[in-house]
Amino acid sequence: MNKTAKTLSINTLKRGLISGINVTWELAKIVVPISFIVTFLKHTPILNIISEVFAPLMSMFGLPGKAAIALVLGNFVNLYAAIGAIVSLSLSVREITILAIMLSFCHSLPVETALAKKIGLSAIKVIAVRCSLAIIAGLAFNLFL
Amino acid sequence: MLTIILKEALLGSFSSIKNIIMIVIPIMIAMEILKDSGIFEKIADLFSPLVKIFGMKKESGFPLVIGILIGISYGAGVIFETAKQENLPERDLYLLTYFLVACHAIIEDTAIFTAIGANGALLLITRLFVASLFTFLASRIIKDKNKIKMSAEV
Repeated sequence: MNKTAKTLSINTLKRGLISGINVTWELAKIVVPISFIVTFLKHTPILNIISEVFAPLMSMFGLPGKAAIALVLGNFVNLYAAIGAIVSLSLSVREITILAIMLSFCHSLPVETALAKKIGLSAIKVIAVRCSLAIIAGLAFNLFL
Repeated sequence: MLTIILKEALLGSFSSIKNIIMIVIPIMIAMEILKDSGIFEKIADLFSPLVKIFGMKKESGFPLVIGILIGISYGAGVIFETAKQENLPERDLYLLTYFLVACHAIIEDTAIFTAIGANGALLLITRLFVASLFTFLASRIIKDKNKIKMSAEV
């Protein structure tokens, strides 16, 4: 690593503030529209249909069927999209923690798999490993939490 | 009907975003301070010998720790740079990437998940432990001579 002499200055604070605002902005850009869509679905029969379809699968993780929306968004889009769904679905702390551990292991698959592939790993193996870790962690948290 | 939905969605997401701002902005400022004061490098230097339990070169630990703390995109940049400078073995690259796809950006992720109500400490410990265990198992399976071809210049 090039160990260039780095110094702390007011620029450090400025950059921190800017990157904090950036993260918040990137997050808000996704959380607000997703939250709007999910809230909209809540007022239609669609959310109930999704809930019922996924209820048997999600119950293995101690999650309601509607939590599938957060898992799907988190994996196909990114964590911020999953956050947007989580905050609009009125879930309990336990349910949020289970979703969070599953999503931590497995999220943003299109972007992150491309990165891993660039380093030389097989895309299928990476996805298989991440999904397995998410499933095992979800089952374990449901069991012990 | 539409106004009720709009109001509910906006109020809900704004209050979550407010919680996220309260946690994320101080954490991002702290992260820049850690970066600029060289503390991240010190942490990475301190923990990098631990990768020996995976049978990896000490030098491979640096991009690993940076990726775990900061994130996978930033981590990938450091991986490419370190791989070039230190001539890291292919096996090390695979192992540290496997670790990182399972566990990265623990500072930002933990902050955000805690802000929306998850148990942050539990998340943090589980992610680190599981990723280490998985990488350890993988390190016993992936042999030095790897048949997989590098699909890109590193």
